[in-house]
Amino acid sequence: MSQMNMVQAINDALRLEMRRDSRVVVLGEDVGKVGGVFRVTQGLFDEFGDDRVIDTPLSEGGIIGAAIGMALYGLVPVPEIQFSDFIFPAYDQIVSEVAKMRYRSGGEYASKLVIRTPVGGGIRGGHYHSQSPEAQFIHVAGLKVVCPSNPADAKGLLLASIRDPDPVLFFEPKRIYRAAKGDVPEGDYTVPLGKAKVVRPGKGVTLVTYGAMLYESLEAANQAAAQGVDVEVVDLRTLWPLDIDTIIESVKKTGRVVVVHEAPKSCGLGGEIVALVNEKAFLHLEAPPVRVTGFDTPFPYTLENEYLPLAHRILPALVETARY
Amino acid sequence: MKTYEFKLPDIGEGVTEGEIVKWLVSPGDAVAEDQPIVEVMTDKATVTITAPKSGKVLETRGAVGGTVPVHSVLVVFDLGGDAATAQVLAEPARSEEPAATAVGDIKESLPGMNLMSTVAAPAPSNGHAKAAGYFNDKPLATPATRALARELGVDLRVVPPTGPNGRVTKDDVRALGQSSSPATTMAPVAQRAPAMTGEPTPRPGEPTALPPRATPEQGAPSPATTRAPVKIGAAAPAGAGLEERIPLRGVRKRIFEGMARSKHTAAHFTFVEECDVTALKALRARLRPAAEKEGVKLTFLPFVLKAVVAALKKHPTLNSAFDESSQEIVVRRYYDIGIASATDSGLVVPVVRSADRKSILDVARDIARLAEDTKAGKINPVDLGGSTFTITSLGAQGGLFATPILNFPEVGILGVHQMKQKPVVRDGQIVIGDVMLLSLSFDHRIIDGHVGAAFAYEIIGYLQDPDRLFLEMG
Repeated sequence: MSQMNMVQAINDALRLEMRRDSRVVVLGEDVGKVGGVFRVTQGLFDEFGDDRVIDTPLSEGGIIGAAIGMALYGLVPVPEIQFSDFIFPAYDQIVSEVAKMRYRSGGEYASKLVIRTPVGGGIRGGHYHSQSPEAQFIHVAGLKVVCPSNPADAKGLLLASIRDPDPVLFFEPKRIYRAAKGDVPEGDYTVPLGKAKVVRPGKGVTLVTYGAMLYESLEAANQAAAQGVDVEVVDLRTLWPLDIDTIIESVKKTGRVVVVHEAPKSCGLGGEIVALVNEKAFLHLEAPPVRVTGFDTPFPYTLENEYLPLAHRILPALVETARY
Repeated sequence: MKTYEFKLPDIGEGVTEGEIVKWLVSPGDAVAEDQPIVEVMTDKATVTITAPKSGKVLETRGAVGGTVPVHSVLVVFDLGGDAATAQVLAEPARSEEPAATAVGDIKESLPGMNLMSTVAAPAPSNGHAKAAGYFNDKPLATPATRALARELGVDLRVVPPTGPNGRVTKDDVRALGQSSSPATTMAPVAQRAPAMTGEPTPRPGEPTALPPRATPEQGAPSPATTRAPVKIGAAAPAGAGLEERIPLRGVRKRIFEGMARSKHTAAHFTFVEECDVTALKALRARLRPAAEKEGVKLTFLPFVLKAVVAALKKHPTLNSAFDESSQEIVVRRYYDIGIASATDSGLVVPVVRSADRKSILDVARDIARLAEDTKAGKINPVDLGGSTFTITSLGAQGGLFATPILNFPEVGILGVHQMKQKPVVRDGQIVIGDVMLLSLSFDHRIIDGHVGAAFAYEIIGYLQDPDRLFLEMG
């Protein structure tokens, strides 16, 4: 065990896997000599050389397109998109090629790759460096979507993602890149994809969240406890495939659910979770399911703390849902 | 001979039957395709149905005034042809579907398309734990409460709710679930005080426009059970002073019955519009001294009343009433206008008789006299009842608008709100205007929306340009 932040834990996972599996290749803008704008790939260029840690031109479509080719020829590329806000030039490559390669080839080929990309707001990044587009990938069949909330999970989930036979979008919440610190097991281990984690047990209200908003949710849950509201907090960890069983098990216990994410509300993952809860636990519901999310607006630079579903917005939703 | 049975088509919008208004063809007639053959009235509209094919009419089914269900045979046609191969063609065959194209097989119709507007509401099932005394066809309850009700075999529709916003709570369900036994489910359920509904009990034998309600004992197919009297359980022993019990009698009883009867029969709809009273205010100010010389205090109400009478003359159905026994609409050619008036004992409606034959001054005198008598509680019975249209002057506390209840069996009522100074736009400028709101309710069974609206604008026209009242004075 050693204390790490998210950046160090992800770096540790990449280094470990590149040492273990010579097929693993990292590519992206400034991932090489510079070590990434967030220093996630620091030191990899020196250790593995420019064959395996490749600085690319500023072309997201090119990065993913090249990664698809590498994957089809047997490499295991881990491309980085510098901000998930920049992923859209590659959206066609991801949706039309990456997600469908296994289906189109009748299972003969897969674009087995892991797209790493920082996600979310809270760093004063403005509208091009703060968005949360995860739902736009969840909506595409053929992709797995991961979003860790802490260093240990980040390392274990990234190792599981790289070893997964299918393409994975690995969203790294940049607001907690350095703020989330914790013990990270040394050496090789994985955290299985598709498994959520109950990080705070409770009986009154189920709170489902992921990524950076986990901490705001835990803060709100603690404040709610002072008002007699007992909140169970579920950290999804993998957004797709969704661990609906864990959510339903919790909702059957509490009868109430609040979903928190910083992505906009409409057609967000929260909407899907609420729909599934209605389908699978309808007769257990004591209150309407509630979403506390970002707004259906561009991410506002000046109103960042109003846009994000911080604890002060989560708390009243928890209390009202508990007392409905 | 080929015969063809033409069935009353599904005209859409959930129409299930039509009444035959007029046959445009007779047996023996030769008809061409698309030639009108019959007029059918549905509850939505009267439609002319045309011949689907050319041929000779063999038989028309259904007499004028009779009702024909959708999909039953309306006309039998002789399409000519070989008598030896007599054959009855049913529905026309569906036209062939287009072949698949480069973009795929785009069908003209797919299963379920015809269900868009004809899906019938499921018939509600009989609840097993049905208790008399409370019934709500659409109870509010969270899903978890619904699950509990299922588990305990309690019909949520009969559970008196005590939760927020009228919601049935789990405790409500448990309370009834435990008390439910074959012996008690049919007995009146005493409600807790906070759940009182205040709904009146229909008196036995009272004429009602609602379909008769069957009792559960009769194995009722309908969820609308006979309403047993609701008992409001005492919150505290008598004498504790927590409640007062007032017998229902006198004026209150009459209001009680009249209001309930009006709401249970007429299909109320309310129309609200603004009226610029600048000219009316000026006119009244100008005439006031003259009226005073005659000993009359001139208010606005006589002008409103005369405007109503003038508008009634132009829209006579507004001055009608419905005769339930003969099922006729009775249009009155006399104009007795009720003036709803508040008294200490409750609402009364003294009547200005033959208002069409009275001058504004006479109307003002009548109103003053009726107001005085009403206030003093010595109104003459001849001044009450039999009005043909009612005005309710809502006064200073009339609110922004209201939804007046019709004075049964009338079909229209006018609520007059207080005149107020408000910003209005005149010639592109915001200026201070004198504005009054009118809230009119009508019986939609008899008064169509556009008729009610036209009537309202007629009144407004007179009040905005009150000189017209003199122009048309009879």
